[in-house]
Amino acid sequence: MLLQQILNGIVVGGVYALFAMGLTLVFGVNHIMNMAHGAVFMWGAFAGLFAVTALGQSLFVALLVGMLTGGLLSVALDWIAFRPLRRRSAPLFSTIVAAFGADLVLISLAQKASNTAVMRFPFDTFPIVIFKFLGMRIQLLQIVIVAVSVLMVLGLLYFLYGSRFGLQARAVAFSENTSKLLGINPGLVNFQVFFISGALAGIAGVLIGLVFNSVHFMMGEPLLLRAFVVIILGGLGSIGGALVAGLIIGVIQTLSVAYISPGVADAIVFSLLFLVLIVRPTGLFGRAHSDLRVARR
Amino acid sequence: MIDLLLSYRSVADIVLVNAVLACSQYIAFRAGVFSLGTAAFASLGAYCTALLVMQAGVHPAVATFAAMAIGGVLSALLALPLSRLRGVFQALATLALVQIVLSGTLNLTEITNGALGINGIPRPIGTLGLLAVVAVVVYILLAVGGSSIGRAFDVIREDETVAVALGISVDRHQLLAFVLSGVLGGLAGSLYAFTRYTIIPTDFGFHMLINVLAMVVLGGRLSVWGALCGATILSVLPEMFRVFADYRMEFQGGLLMLCIIFLPRGVADSVIVWYRDKRLKAQLAHQEASI
Repeated sequence: MLLQQILNGIVVGGVYALFAMGLTLVFGVNHIMNMAHGAVFMWGAFAGLFAVTALGQSLFVALLVGMLTGGLLSVALDWIAFRPLRRRSAPLFSTIVAAFGADLVLISLAQKASNTAVMRFPFDTFPIVIFKFLGMRIQLLQIVIVAVSVLMVLGLLYFLYGSRFGLQARAVAFSENTSKLLGINPGLVNFQVFFISGALAGIAGVLIGLVFNSVHFMMGEPLLLRAFVVIILGGLGSIGGALVAGLIIGVIQTLSVAYISPGVADAIVFSLLFLVLIVRPTGLFGRAHSDLRVARR
Repeated sequence: MIDLLLSYRSVADIVLVNAVLACSQYIAFRAGVFSLGTAAFASLGAYCTALLVMQAGVHPAVATFAAMAIGGVLSALLALPLSRLRGVFQALATLALVQIVLSGTLNLTEITNGALGINGIPRPIGTLGLLAVVAVVVYILLAVGGSSIGRAFDVIREDETVAVALGISVDRHQLLAFVLSGVLGGLAGSLYAFTRYTIIPTDFGFHMLINVLAMVVLGGRLSVWGALCGATILSVLPEMFRVFADYRMEFQGGLLMLCIIFLPRGVADSVIVWYRDKRLKAQLAHQEASI
């Protein structure tokens, strides 16, 4: 039973990690805390569901559609809300406020689009195949989710640390103006960063929609709040940290829902955020930011 | 004429309660504390007031002071961990606070009646009473803001290193600002409970947080007038455009985005800055003419 719950936690944690990696990537490169990431995730789930129910496509296509929608929405967000602020080199405060505004707009549009209803994937979207292993029941869907998460993480790590793009993205993260002198086009880099971030959120949306078999306009908010805990625990801007912390939070969440009570689970997770901030604000893998603490006394 | 004014009393109540909320948010921003915790303090204040008045039979005024005390004590306890953090970390920590309080009020059903909320709260305060409370709050904030403490807040917000070099204790001033924010949050929650007759946990969630943030951003976050101005605009506009009530959220979100992009100082602060510039220019011209 305990093993089973831990397994379930790892599956959910994998999706948390996918979602949180996009958030931490944008923060790492652009120093923007994208409060609208939950809304992008939710629209990804909507688009995936639309592909399955209205267009009658397979799950694979739904994942692609969710990914594309999330990515494009995220890029649109960057162009409309963040780019004007970046050009003025506005403080962090402004980007957070703009993102809150965008979040509100996207969520209420989704509420209109879905008539405030909870939508479901059709019963036969994904074949229910159950494997038994060491007394645990493992669904094929769970295996697919873990596989997709691992694949995405490896792809992202390669992209960031093994390719030319990653080098450029890290240069832009260091200083946008210096990167221009080196012949890097920051606009192109930001486009890719936001697209990847949104695409990850879109995939996570379709997967979460499948796991809990419910897609509704408020689904982004709880995940966004948990993702904050994940990225702080993993260290802001750290991709590997987001993966490890995502799995940890997923397991803690599932165990506290199973063994204590669903209501307390949220309180436990958010208290954990407080604890991390007090004991080790840089998280498990983060390095101290110069802006984190100003020397004083 | 009196009838006309009376018919707008409920809107005036909303404006006044929101003004106290906005003041709670303003004083935190003024000292450079990126706190989003106003909704949490308001929630505690509202529940404290409602329970004390309805179940313990305490006098409403005493209940309001208890609500302010709870907000103040909680914010004082939180100030220590928050003082180790800056910027986005403070925002996330206080966001977590809002969530913890929300899940507390939702799940402690024996005390708070859970998602059903508390109904039938008596209303002991009139519109004039609310106006008096807001006037006192504004007077205190103006007094604090105009004193050396207010100057210290400004320096800390603009540049902490300079503040330290000037011998200003950053921790102590931010503690003061955050406790003031907590006390005002508790007060606003208490007034909210008295004017709405009913409270539910989700009143004090994500939506209130964004709403309060929007008021301060729209009005201007560096002066009390900005907070008042923002609270008035955002409470009156939805009532004026009842026809578009369905699109209220889209409108508010869009306004928040447009405002931070095109009018980053907010309405009141932009006017104040414009007026100050004009006066300075006139003075300069006068001086040059006399030379």
